[in-house]
Amino acid sequence: MSTSALSRTVSVSGMLAWRSLILVRRMPSVFIPSLVMPLFILVATSGAFHGIGAAIGDYSYLRFTIPFATVMGAGFAGINAGMTLARDIEGGFVDRLTSSPAPRISLVFGPLTAAAMRSVFTTTVVLVAGSIGGIYPPGVVGTIVVYLLAGGFAMATAGWSMGVALRARTVQAAPLMQLVVFLLVFTSVAYAPRDLQTGWLRQVSNWNPVTRILEASRAAEFSNLSWSYLWPAILSLAILLGVLGAFTLHGLARLGRE
Amino acid sequence: MRPAVHQTLALARRSIKDTFRFPQAWFPSYFFPLVLMAIFTASFGRSIGHIPGFPKVDGFLSFAMTGAIVQGVLISAVGAGGFFAGDIEHGFFDRLISSPTSRSAILVSRLVASMVLATMQAIFFMAVALAFGATIKGGVVGALVVIALAACLAIPIGGLGVLLALRTGSAEAVQGMFPLFFALMFFSSTFFPRETMTGWFRIVADINPISHLVEGMRAQVITGVDWQAAGVSLGIIAGLAVLTVGGSALSLRRRLEGN
Repeated sequence: MSTSALSRTVSVSGMLAWRSLILVRRMPSVFIPSLVMPLFILVATSGAFHGIGAAIGDYSYLRFTIPFATVMGAGFAGINAGMTLARDIEGGFVDRLTSSPAPRISLVFGPLTAAAMRSVFTTTVVLVAGSIGGIYPPGVVGTIVVYLLAGGFAMATAGWSMGVALRARTVQAAPLMQLVVFLLVFTSVAYAPRDLQTGWLRQVSNWNPVTRILEASRAAEFSNLSWSYLWPAILSLAILLGVLGAFTLHGLARLGRE
Repeated sequence: MRPAVHQTLALARRSIKDTFRFPQAWFPSYFFPLVLMAIFTASFGRSIGHIPGFPKVDGFLSFAMTGAIVQGVLISAVGAGGFFAGDIEHGFFDRLISSPTSRSAILVSRLVASMVLATMQAIFFMAVALAFGATIKGGVVGALVVIALAACLAIPIGGLGVLLALRTGSAEAVQGMFPLFFALMFFSSTFFPRETMTGWFRIVADINPISHLVEGMRAQVITGVDWQAAGVSLGIIAGLAVLTVGGSALSLRRRLEGN
């Protein structure tokens, strides 16, 4: 890719990301659920399962739940990217864009960037709610790690959702986007650490990449972050981004050919 | 058979057939409670012995069984309300009221269908839980009490679905109520006992009728047949039914007067 093509891609992607972000103000009904749901998860999970704190070593279950809520909020930010793309396909915006000289790849990079930026909002909301509940953010490095992991997961789920949007080409596919993200997060260590899990969930969560992301985010939250937590999380994110990115790019390549 | 009874049964049969014709109508009400029951059991099963205040149970699956049943009934009833709203949107309701169909059959048939679907769900979740090692301390009688309470619960929840459908006439608006039900379940003892909760969350769970409703059903499973607890559940169901079925009857009358 030449320098001018690269700068055009960056410029158009930036504009599409900005367009996606200002939709937050124009269509709050689309974005508000992705802010409310992680808050609901934080409050309902930490409240309902408060007693589990005693079983995981007398830890605050609210602190234990914060990474689950930030990751789930990031998941919603990613799903939003897919839903916006599906709406743009239905509304003809994507057709207009693909018939213009704008680089086609921007259609993916723009919403991907927007998803990562939206995850900053959702993570901030969760961390502020945690602070109100008496659990303060875990120092500068820990907080940055929590944000970066959430941002990475938002991009991964955006990859999945956009891949679905590019194939289904309708916003009716939203439940499929949501269901897979829900199952991926819920079958990780969302509710209990691996050493407390039993049976099938223990096996599934061992192989689930979200487990490593949540464990690293939780280690940051509990201020015991180390490289042994970080590298599996980075590797898991890289695998998710690689596989789901390829899924999206394949969908993008098919766009307009059929 | 009196025409009104015949019409009620025919319309109820149509509602049940409609539900099974569209996977999106029945699948979530079986899938989500099952998945949550499986995930919570595998997540918390090992911990319950170490949690102060957790009741003595044979296993977490036995504890979770009634929560899954109530969740299934709630999701299913929202779906049924959505279908009724769909009937209003697509004109079937108007055709029905312009025919000599009994007005009460329109309402009662929905509730009968909800009861049948709830009974099927209760049996299904119970069978799955039993197959995976859950036990019912109340035995066959306890199981029948739980199934009967689940069927009765479908009346107020189905009534609420019909009420919302009549008031809004929009399937989307009725489906939009799902998060509210979900929140009501989480802010109760549906998934975990109240004894392990603290602070304001405990207060909310204490005053949430769903807590007492589920606990009355759960008692049959984890402690044995308990008529008093079942009576509390039935009382809550009856109170809710008066509100929602009464409200939907009023809304039906208003809509008929409007037409």
